[in-house]
Amino acid sequence: MAQAAPVAPPDLELTYEMPEQATLLSDAWRRIRRNRLALVGGVIISILFITALISIVWTPFPVWLQAVGPTYQPPSGAHPLGLDQAGRDILSRIMGGALITVEVGIGSAIIVSLIGIPLGLLAGFYRGTTDTIISFFINIWYGIPDLLVALILVFVLADALHLIPRGVFVIIIAFSLTRWMDVARLVRGQSLALREREFVEAARMAGARDFSLLLRHIFPNALGPIIVQATFAIPAAVLFEAFLSFLGLGLPSPTPSWGAMAADGYHGMDFAPHIVLAPTIALSLTLMAFNWVGDGLRDAFDPRMRR
Amino acid sequence: MRGTLLYIGQRLILIAITTVLVSSIVFLLLHQIPGNAFLNETRQSPQTLAAELHHYGLDLPLQQQYLNWVHGVVGGDLGESLVNRGVKITPLLIRETSVSATVGFFALLVTVGLGLILGVVAALRQNTWVDYLASSTAVVGYSIPSFVIAIFGLLLFGHYLYQWTDGAFFYSPGWGKAEQIPVPALALGLPYASYVARLTRASMLETIRTDYVRTAWAKGLKARIVVFRHALRNALIPVVTILGPLVTGIITGSVVIENIFGIPGLGKEFITSILARDYNIVIGVFTFYAALVGLANLTVDVIYPVLDPRIRY
Repeated sequence: MAQAAPVAPPDLELTYEMPEQATLLSDAWRRIRRNRLALVGGVIISILFITALISIVWTPFPVWLQAVGPTYQPPSGAHPLGLDQAGRDILSRIMGGALITVEVGIGSAIIVSLIGIPLGLLAGFYRGTTDTIISFFINIWYGIPDLLVALILVFVLADALHLIPRGVFVIIIAFSLTRWMDVARLVRGQSLALREREFVEAARMAGARDFSLLLRHIFPNALGPIIVQATFAIPAAVLFEAFLSFLGLGLPSPTPSWGAMAADGYHGMDFAPHIVLAPTIALSLTLMAFNWVGDGLRDAFDPRMRR
Repeated sequence: MRGTLLYIGQRLILIAITTVLVSSIVFLLLHQIPGNAFLNETRQSPQTLAAELHHYGLDLPLQQQYLNWVHGVVGGDLGESLVNRGVKITPLLIRETSVSATVGFFALLVTVGLGLILGVVAALRQNTWVDYLASSTAVVGYSIPSFVIAIFGLLLFGHYLYQWTDGAFFYSPGWGKAEQIPVPALALGLPYASYVARLTRASMLETIRTDYVRTAWAKGLKARIVVFRHALRNALIPVVTILGPLVTGIITGSVVIENIFGIPGLGKEFITSILARDYNIVIGVFTFYAALVGLANLTVDVIYPVLDPRIRY
């Protein structure tokens, strides 16, 4: 029997490409790129942020400067969006309003998360009395018109007690104090589920303390839903500010809030609709963009919930 | 049946407790404010001021005022207006609630009616132009706040239609005539209608692919029966779940809508009273709102088992 020719030993130096490690964010980014609506929303939000940044250093006219031309002047070359009832340049005011919108939206999202995440984590992790107390507040709040409580809070804190000057900050505080429950409820659910998982068990056996379990193991794994919830807090806060300012209970008069601008234009709507149209369209586009991005993020972080 | 009644009774007690608790927060907040509603009145002698304060019991210690207030609320008495002396708040607010409820009812009709129709049609004609039209309307509509829709509605119906028809079409905002209801109801209901449409479409798409719906088709049942009795009834369950928050949204939205259209309801009273610093009415309106939201949520929970017999109390 002829000996088979010795086979050359296979090249042991295996060269194959390591697949790129998929992190939570890179995975979500890959999915959200395919979502056209979310991309459009992202573009609108980018424009909003850039406009807001530009308005800090430059607007065509100062936002408060009255009588830069005839009052109620419709859009023209010098004033692309026209002038309002006090002869202020509407384009400049829309730009200033973008900054306020960004401040209110982002500020509220951050504070809502700062309150809601720790409370939700604690309630879900420790259960028992801690959970009962926190859940009690969440459930009570679930059944009432929270925006109206926030409205009263703004009024009491700013106008009546003069604790915080009437401005963006008091609106953020009032909104956050009445809206942290959404985040807390979500995080509580996540924390309740995650604390039973094997990796948490393993970390506990390895000697991890409660604090590090919460911070290093449970919180990072709940990050996806938290980001989604925080994103949806932005349009809610922006709408709250517009709603207050439209009713005359929000930001004080010369501030170029879109809600207040809509209220200004509302009175001259019959003969100068451009005054009311500019801020309402800007507001609607902004809300739409944040909602689309929020929807996109939800689908991206939770592929099972695809609609 | 007895179980359901017991459940409703328990919930009613809970609603009463929640209402008093939440209004207490507002009561205590508003009573932190230094000064009082009469501070702005000019040419007032210290005697009349003291008499006014005494009339409203505002000269008592806060605990006593609070106990008096709770005692009143439990007996259905919300006190007296600070601005218009002698005006009892409870009957005033009951009258205004009927106005707000009328608008709210029609808004809810728009929300649920239009939302369901759009959602079902879009799901049944998935990936046709009907679906794209309905879905894109919904995706835009749910982000436009109701006060913006109200402004556009006023511009269109109150201004442009009047011009285009040379005055033949006339609409002026206000209250009292039947033709003044649709525009505010639409403004209030449309954003939520879009939301309901999206939800209905998604859950309808899921249900029409289930085995029991396929079986229903295979049995040769009429399309009407398959769609309404088999598919829609199950598809409605997630929609009913959001009805509670939806009613809260409509109540919040009505505050701004009533002010835009000049409708004399609870929402208008709320803002007028805040601006006039008539705290008794502000607290009263809030108590009403809290109770209304609670009752709306209860109603939703009661109709839930009608749709889904698996749920029992």
